Amino acid sequence: MATYKELRSAADEAWRAVANPKRALIKVGVATCSRSVGAEETLDALRREVAARGLDADVMVTGCLGLCYAEPIVEVQRPGAPAVLYQQIKPGRVPELLDVVGHGGDASGLALAVVGEQAAGAIPSLESLPFWRGQVRRLMANCGVTDPGNIEHYIANGGYEGLTKALKMAPAEVIEEVKSSRLWGRGGAAFSTGLKWEFLYNAKSRPKYIVVNADEGDPGAFVNRNLLESDPHLLIEGVVIAGIATEADQAYVYIRDEYPLPVARVEKAVLQAYENGLAGRDILGSGKNFELKVVRGAGSYVCGDETGLLSSLEDRRGMPKIKPPYPAQAGVFALPSNINNVESYANAPLILRHGAEWWASVGTERNKGTKMFSLSGQVRRVGVVEVPLGTPTSEVVMKMGGGVPEGRTLKAIQSGGPLSGVIPAIDVGIPLEPEPYRDRGSIMGAGGLVIMDDTNCIVDLCIYFEWFAEDESCGRCTTCFAGTRRMLEILRRISSGRGRKADLELINLLGRIAQNANCFHGQGAPTVVMSMFRFFEDELLEHLERKRCPAKKCAGLIRYEVVHESDLLPLAEAICPTGAVVRHNGAYRIDQEKCVKCDACREQAPYAIGLVDIFSS
Amino acid sequence: MFSQASHNSRVQPVSPAPGATEIVTRVNELIAGLRPDNVDMLAAFHRIQHEYGYVPREAVPLLAGHFNTSPAIVFGAIDFYSEIRTNAPAEEVVEWCSGPACLLKGSMGIRRALEAVLDAPMNGTTPDGKFELRLAQCDGTCHLAPLVRNKGNYLGPLSTSKAIEWARRLRGIEPAAVAAEETA
Repeated sequence: MATYKELRSAADEAWRAVANPKRALIKVGVATCSRSVGAEETLDALRREVAARGLDADVMVTGCLGLCYAEPIVEVQRPGAPAVLYQQIKPGRVPELLDVVGHGGDASGLALAVVGEQAAGAIPSLESLPFWRGQVRRLMANCGVTDPGNIEHYIANGGYEGLTKALKMAPAEVIEEVKSSRLWGRGGAAFSTGLKWEFLYNAKSRPKYIVVNADEGDPGAFVNRNLLESDPHLLIEGVVIAGIATEADQAYVYIRDEYPLPVARVEKAVLQAYENGLAGRDILGSGKNFELKVVRGAGSYVCGDETGLLSSLEDRRGMPKIKPPYPAQAGVFALPSNINNVESYANAPLILRHGAEWWASVGTERNKGTKMFSLSGQVRRVGVVEVPLGTPTSEVVMKMGGGVPEGRTLKAIQSGGPLSGVIPAIDVGIPLEPEPYRDRGSIMGAGGLVIMDDTNCIVDLCIYFEWFAEDESCGRCTTCFAGTRRMLEILRRISSGRGRKADLELINLLGRIAQNANCFHGQGAPTVVMSMFRFFEDELLEHLERKRCPAKKCAGLIRYEVVHESDLLPLAEAICPTGAVVRHNGAYRIDQEKCVKCDACREQAPYAIGLVDIFSS
Repeated sequence: MFSQASHNSRVQPVSPAPGATEIVTRVNELIAGLRPDNVDMLAAFHRIQHEYGYVPREAVPLLAGHFNTSPAIVFGAIDFYSEIRTNAPAEEVVEWCSGPACLLKGSMGIRRALEAVLDAPMNGTTPDGKFELRLAQCDGTCHLAPLVRNKGNYLGPLSTSKAIEWARRLRGIEPAAVAAEETA
C-alpha cells in the first residue's frame, strides 16, 4: 500500500507533463454541456488530424470550465507560450485551429481568452472576461483544468491532502473543524453541515451510512453536474472525510439517471480511489475502513428530497418518509445516516486542506464560503459560476451572465427550482444568500438561476412549475397531489380566459393547505404562485379580469391572424404543421379551428402574421 | 402509463407471451450478482432496461423473488420512476425538453408543432408506432434551449420552424410536397 507521500510524488511527476508541457498540449473540455454541441467529435477530429499531420502535440480531455455558451472549448498550450482557449471549435474548425499548433499561425478569430491575467495581443485574458471576473473558484479550481478521469491530476493539485489530515485527527476534531468553518448544507435547507455530521457521529447503532444527494432534479440547475463530471474526486474525498469523521461504514452516491456522464465519471473515480488505497479497507494504512457505492437513480424528482432518496435506496418507490425520526437516527434501512448535497461534501476537502479559517475568509458575516450557480433562460451567457456567498445577484446575472438578450428587459429571476418563487427585477441587487431570498418568500436553493425577460408570461411559468410539482408528486399527501392538481386546473383556467374573481381566493387557500403536506415537495409547490401574487399581481389580474396576456404567451388568450399582405405568407403556409394558414381567392387567413398556436408561421412571416388578444375588441 | 392489455392480465390468467422463458433465463442472468437490502434494485431495473429497452412484465415476479419482496412493491417502483419503461420504445424516440429555460425560450410552440407533425401526443407514438414523442427532464444543456434530443444528439437552439423541418425530414415528409398538398 502506497503512502500519501508516494502517491503525491508520482502524481506531481504526471502533472508536470501537463502544467509545463515539453510539446504542444491540446485540451478538449468534454462534459455534458460540451458533448451536446459535439465536443467528442471535435476530440476525435483533433486526434485524427494531429496524427495525420504528424504534429508534435498531445491531446487531452478535461472537464468543463463553466462557460457553456462558448462550448466546445479547446485549450492550446505551446511550450513557453501562454495557454489560449478557443471557443466553439466544431470538427470543421479543427484544421484551422491546428495551423496554430503546427506553424504558429494566427487563429485569434477563434480565440476566447488567454489563460491567466495577461492578455496576448487582441486576445483578452481569461481573468478579464466579464463571465470570469469576480468569480472565486475554489470548488471549481480543477474544473476544465485537469483530466477528470485521472486521479493523479487531482492528487497533484492538492487532492486527498485533506483526507490525510482527517485520518490523523480524532473524528470529533474533524467535525469541530467543519463546524467552525460554518459550512451549511448547499442543497437548499442551509443547515449546519458540521452539526449534521455530529448527529451521525453520536448515533449509537451500526452500521452508519453517508448518503450523497446528487439527484440534482431542479430543472434549470446544473451546478452539481458540472462538479461531478469535471472533478469527481473532490466529491469522493469529501465523502470519505465525512465517513471518517462520523465513523460511518458505507457511502451511497445517488446520481440522477439523466446524468449518464457524471455517473460514469464518478464510478471511475470510485474505482481509482479504491485502487490507490483512498477508500475501502485500511485507508492509507490508517486501519480505518469506508466503502463507497454509486447508485443510479431512475427519474424521480422527489428522490432529491432527503427522505425520498432514502426510500429509493431501500428497493422500493422513492416516497418521502415522515420526519421525525430524522435520518441521523433512522435513515437507510432504519439505520443512522447522513445526507448532504454534492457541494456540501465537496467543501470538506478544502476546509481540511486549508483550514476552517481560510475557508471562511470569503462570504458574509452569516454565510461563509463560495457557492456555485448556474445561469439559464433569457440570459446571454449560459454557464456555471462560483462566487462568494453574499455576492449581489445582479453581479452574477447582469455582469457574468451578460443580462437579458438585446432589446429586452429583465422581468424576474427564478431561483432554487420549482419549489421556490421568483424574485422581481427590482430586487435583482439582493445578495446571494438565503436570508434575503427567504424574506421575499423564495429560497436561494441549490444554485439554479433561471432568468425571465419581458417576453415571458408569469402565469405561463406558474403553470409549468405547478405541472411539474403535480407530475412529480409521490401521491402520499392529498394536500400535495390533489392540491397541486387543483392549482394547475385553476391556473390553466385563468390562462384560457375562463378565470374568475373567486380563483384568487381559491389559490390562496390551496397555498395555505399545502403547508400541511409531509415533505417539502408539497409545502414548496405553491411558492411560485404565491410569489406571483406578491410581485406580479397586476399581470395576474390582467389575465383574470381583462382576459389579456401582456406577454402574449397564454394560448387561450391569443390568436394568430393575418394582419398584412406579404410575399412571405406562402412560406408560412408551407411551414404550418396543421395546414391552418389557408389561401382563399388569393388572400391568406388563419383557420382558427386548425391552428395549434405553435408560432411557426409568425417566424416565417413576422410582419404579416400578428398575435391578437382573443378578448380584446 | 400501463396499457389496457397489461391491466387485464392482472385479473385474467394469460398464457405466457412468446419468448417469455427466454426472458426469464436472461433476466435471471442479469440480476444474478445483485442482493436484497444492498441498494441493488435500481441497478436491476437499469440492467434489464439496457438489455430490452424496457422492463418486461415477466421480470416483475423474478425481481420480487430475488429481492425478497412482493411483485406489488416491485411494480410500484417500476411504475414510480419515470425513466423505467414498461413498454418497448419506438424505433425513433424524439425527446422534447420540458425544462424552464426551454419553456421561456419557446419550447411550447415546438411541442405543439412536433405533436402535429409526428401525429403523436406527448409520451405517445405515431399511429404506425414508428415514432415516439417523449417528455424529457432538463439535463442542464440550457445553452441549447429550446432543444430536442434524438438518439443522443442534441438539436438546439431550435425555432419552431426548424423543429418542424427537422421532424418532417425524420418522418420522410418532403416540405415541397406538403406545401403542394395544402394548396391543392
